Amino acid sequence: MNFKWIISCFMIICLTLLSGCWSSKELTDLGIISAYALDKNEDGEYVGTFQIINPMNVPGSLQGGASGQRPAVTTFTETGVNPTELSNRASRKISRDLYYSHTSLLVISEELARDEGLSAILDSMERALEFRATAKVVITRGIKAGDFIKVLTGIDQIPAENVLKTLDSTEKLYGENINTNLQEFIQSLTSTGKEPLVSGFSLLGDMEKGKTMEQLHSTDFDAILEANGLAVFKEGKLVNWLDGEKARGTMWGLNRIHETPVSIDWENHKKAIAYRVIRQKTDVSAQMKDGKPAISITIRAEGDLRTVAVPVDVTDPHVLLAIEKALGQEIKKEVEAAVQEAKENKTDVFGFGEKLHQSEPDVWKKLEQEWQDVSFPELDVDITVEAFIRRTGVRNNPYLFDLEKKSD
Amino acid sequence: MEKAKISASQLFILMILFQLSNSLLIPLAINAGRDSWLAIIIAMIVSIFLFSVYQALYQYYPALLPTDYMEKLIGKVFGRTLAFLYILFFLFSAARVLREFGVMLLSLAFPETPLFVMSALLILVVVYTVYKGIEVVARTGELLFVVMGLLGLFLLLLIAISGLIDISNLKPFLEEPSKVIKTAFTETLYVPFGEIIVFTMIFPYLNQARKLKKTAIFAIGTTGVILALTMALNISVLGLALTERALFPLLSTIQSIEVGEFLERVDVIFVLILVIGGFFKVSVYVYGAVIGTASLFNIKEPSRLAYPLGMVVLLLSMIVANNYPQHLQEGLKVFPLYAQLPFQVIIPVLLLIIAFFKNKKT
Amino acid sequence: MSYRKFLKKMNRKEQSQDLEKDDPKSIDTSLTENLNIIKEKTGNSPDIIIRIISFGHDPKVRTAIIYADGLVDNPTINEYLVESMENNVQEKLHGKDPFTILSEKVVALGSVKTAKDWDSLFQSLLSGDTVILMDGKNEALIGSTKGGERRSIEQPDSEVSIRGSKEGFTESIATNISLVRRIINNPNLWVEPMNLGKQTKTDVSIMYINGIADNDTVEEVRHRLRRVNLDSILDSGYIEQVIEDESIGLFPTIIHTERPDAAAGNLLEGRIAIFVNGSPNALIVPAVMIQFFQTPEDYYMRFPISTFIRQLRVLMYLISLIGPALYVAITTYHQEMIPTGLLIIIASQTDSVPFPAIVEALIMEVTFEILREAGLRMPNKISSTISIVGALVIGQGAIQAGIVSPAMVIVVSVTAIASLATPSYDIAISARLIRFAFMLSAAIAGFYGIILGLIMLTVHLVSLRSFGVPYISPLAPFEPGNIKDTILRAPLWALNERPKFLSAKNRVRQGKNQRPQVPMSQGMVRADTKEGDKNEF
Repeated sequence: MNFKWIISCFMIICLTLLSGCWSSKELTDLGIISAYALDKNEDGEYVGTFQIINPMNVPGSLQGGASGQRPAVTTFTETGVNPTELSNRASRKISRDLYYSHTSLLVISEELARDEGLSAILDSMERALEFRATAKVVITRGIKAGDFIKVLTGIDQIPAENVLKTLDSTEKLYGENINTNLQEFIQSLTSTGKEPLVSGFSLLGDMEKGKTMEQLHSTDFDAILEANGLAVFKEGKLVNWLDGEKARGTMWGLNRIHETPVSIDWENHKKAIAYRVIRQKTDVSAQMKDGKPAISITIRAEGDLRTVAVPVDVTDPHVLLAIEKALGQEIKKEVEAAVQEAKENKTDVFGFGEKLHQSEPDVWKKLEQEWQDVSFPELDVDITVEAFIRRTGVRNNPYLFDLEKKSD
Repeated sequence: MEKAKISASQLFILMILFQLSNSLLIPLAINAGRDSWLAIIIAMIVSIFLFSVYQALYQYYPALLPTDYMEKLIGKVFGRTLAFLYILFFLFSAARVLREFGVMLLSLAFPETPLFVMSALLILVVVYTVYKGIEVVARTGELLFVVMGLLGLFLLLLIAISGLIDISNLKPFLEEPSKVIKTAFTETLYVPFGEIIVFTMIFPYLNQARKLKKTAIFAIGTTGVILALTMALNISVLGLALTERALFPLLSTIQSIEVGEFLERVDVIFVLILVIGGFFKVSVYVYGAVIGTASLFNIKEPSRLAYPLGMVVLLLSMIVANNYPQHLQEGLKVFPLYAQLPFQVIIPVLLLIIAFFKNKKT
Repeated sequence: MSYRKFLKKMNRKEQSQDLEKDDPKSIDTSLTENLNIIKEKTGNSPDIIIRIISFGHDPKVRTAIIYADGLVDNPTINEYLVESMENNVQEKLHGKDPFTILSEKVVALGSVKTAKDWDSLFQSLLSGDTVILMDGKNEALIGSTKGGERRSIEQPDSEVSIRGSKEGFTESIATNISLVRRIINNPNLWVEPMNLGKQTKTDVSIMYINGIADNDTVEEVRHRLRRVNLDSILDSGYIEQVIEDESIGLFPTIIHTERPDAAAGNLLEGRIAIFVNGSPNALIVPAVMIQFFQTPEDYYMRFPISTFIRQLRVLMYLISLIGPALYVAITTYHQEMIPTGLLIIIASQTDSVPFPAIVEALIMEVTFEILREAGLRMPNKISSTISIVGALVIGQGAIQAGIVSPAMVIVVSVTAIASLATPSYDIAISARLIRFAFMLSAAIAGFYGIILGLIMLTVHLVSLRSFGVPYISPLAPFEPGNIKDTILRAPLWALNERPKFLSAKNRVRQGKNQRPQVPMSQGMVRADTKEGDKNEF
């Protein structure tokens, strides 16, 4: 009896002493990375830039005596032949352990994405458990990724957070950009029937000034980060950028539009009526038509009239019907343009291939090999758009209408 | 045998926890692709037949442990040898579960810690539990079952709120029926369903023998449905490609949860499910080995065996494979064919045939 | 094994010692002799008062009234004994047995009995009865005159009553038994007296309701009490420690209460109460863990509120168990779990703290335990000073000096409040100790350590028994019928059955249709409703 207890006690003591907190990390030993940027230099090595949070300098933290006077983040740059090498080499410069679990932004430069492709990098992100699958990915346009995360930002003082929130709100309110996280990116990268889309970001203004605290001391920032376009990938490499209406048309096709303005011409007035979509539903279905695969896209949009800059009687249901029809046409035009662009690029960003796979697995098996290059560009795509005006704001007729009556 | 009784509901809970444990975490029946859930259901139905073999044997000897009635059926020498082999099988299975569990824990949260320490901590708790006897194992099960249930519901709620479920990922349905059948019969039948062979060591403790059939079939069915749903959930959240590549798909599913700004990386739920499940599976296996050894060698206090056998399992788990891929390959290719097929299917069927004829004569 | 042998040896020794003495066993006929024995045995203690009175005349009989000062009710002795005897001094004793006359006619006390041996005489004398000895009689008359200065019935300190009865048990066993009897007016409420403690000869009583309590359990209680062979029993805590199932573990397997209503409620569920003279706490067995999270008030309030409060208590207990451990695990192993914003705040606070989280937590917890112990034992005036110093030390000083982080202070204080809010002190104190173990396991293996610890704790708890009843009943083993009164509290009209795990007999507690029959809807009234249906306002 006693012997057993002695053994068990001995084991517990040994284990506790031996285990000695191998995996424990005190908060004071962590360099919390908020954003991670990857470039490539002339020697073909990866250049990684880490944006590390300075907890003491973040406004709002209790004891941060220096908060608001010094930048909330610090950046370090390191090179390496692969991301793992790079990360561990960085310890030569950084006094703390690099901690990736709170990295919410992965920035990749256009160059790297275009020339090298992302397949090699993403494996190390996915394999290492620390990196969040929900971290967002963006591509920089016309600027090095490393420089991009050095720019200080105003309203949200941690630049990574600023970028994330910008991306989030612009997808929700405007719909030209897409919020892609690492997992979604890898999912579409590995799918044969879908190609990934990633938002682009560019810098407006002077990069050098944007790095200093001076930037934050004025109302008009010298450097501003702006969401700009959608990067289209094919076989892991960036092949094209979608901008403006084409970008939004793609988002319509992906059912990713939440709120967005749609403006139409009315009675010779350019873009006189603005409509804001508040809810929409896009259904994409694939079927066989005359032995050929065909895709039909059905969009139902609901929203309000927000600007009516022409004298028109919006209390009249017939007029509203006409406006609805015109709106539908406008949206359809955008989507058509986007589909056309995708076909020209031979990149199935809409995931039509996946839809076909789901509904016609046998056909898909035959087409899978050459889907992007042969079958997709010849695909028959039918688009139907219905737009509904639910409200006209808190006014009925525009005052222009009354003015016109007066003048009559 | 110890002097103890467990109720039908306790057996039900034990069976569910035992079968779910590590099967919830691994990509179960993933060779069947999108239809892995179907393979699980098929394996579940087949395993009910397998169970009726065990149950028929139990009906012949309701008060005896299998290690005891083997002796009666095929003679002293063969019976005892076979019983000994079964004990080894249980120990080896326990070691495999322990290994799997330790690796998951390390790759999840404790990369720098040696595997031995993590496994040893768990085996300590297991030994303590087994030492206390089957009644305590069963009661612990009842409490932890509630915890597991609540966690499961919470998880489902979070996934639903995050809007991650995309049912279209499960389509097309039945792309390759032959694969489904093959997976069901060569893998899923043995793990987790065939593993209930160890419960033949526990059936004699049931206080109402006539409830056994209903309880066990209900437990197997529930497990099958839960596992099928889990795999379907994983695939619908992650897509097939990611699920196939993930060592622990449920972990990836949990990591994709993003509710509001603050409910992210709720990996701890996974750790909880992992530890509770691993604890139960190893406990039941070790208990089976302990009680079998005690009856085989006529040891008065079975609880004394908990320590030595626990240590055996711990050491076995360290030497069972060099690395995790090797362990997985063993689990998919070698173990089912050379250990699980004979011990879970062939021998019980043969024993049943012998028992049938022996009891017919008398 | 060796323990049992040792006990046997002890018993044998005692018996032989008893035999060696040649004390007179029974009372002598001579009064003088008897009084001498009494004086000798009590060592001439001045509080043993002996008064000699001549009783009757023709012939006069010398009679002695003996009582222990302070234990008796003096007016009773004066009025009903001494006065009465003096008034009856004219009684002619000729040809009659003066003893019978004394006991039947003269002594005007409620309970009178006789004793023939010294043991029972001293027993009665020292428990406050009055002994009357008569010359020429080898028998003593014992009149019940218990009384004297005692604490009156007050509100219990340790269990505050909000809604229920404000009465609390006192130190007198008779009062305590009577308090319960006042609640349960039922002849089936049985009391079995016992006398335990070699030196103190303390009165102990078992109380149960015959027909509800399980006979085997009652027998088990009797058996365990008979085994008690302690020198002294100063409080029910002495008994508790020698009759409980698990004496090494931290969890109480016997519940105690100061409230008669709580005791009555438990008796009615089929439990057994043990009263010990001198202790205001009645022991109640068998106890299950869930009881420590319940109070009698739960049954007096509306059921949704009670259910909520009960669950809150379990949550508080869990917090007080693993609160600091969770903090340590999260900040040293699982930082990814904290939302980024919060992590930055915590990180900025800990940046200046020189200790690892576990050391910080240990410092704060130990400081708190010291403060609590200091505050508990001090008189009120000093304890307020302590709380001021404590608040300054913890709240201000430690943070400003940068020794601990504010987040840690929050965690420790929440834990402390949670631990203070657990209704049973016995169970809360177990959490105080186990908390340290959890903190260490969290420091060693993070969440894994905490979870393993919790499993270990669960295994330990389910392996406990209290007088044969599994400690976690009715949750494990699960009793579907009794789940209504655990961390839930079903409406009173639905609590139809007594706990199954306590007793198999007499399970039905109340009639089936106890749900109040509400008059017809007061909102929408049917057209054919008559006046006076209580629906018009």
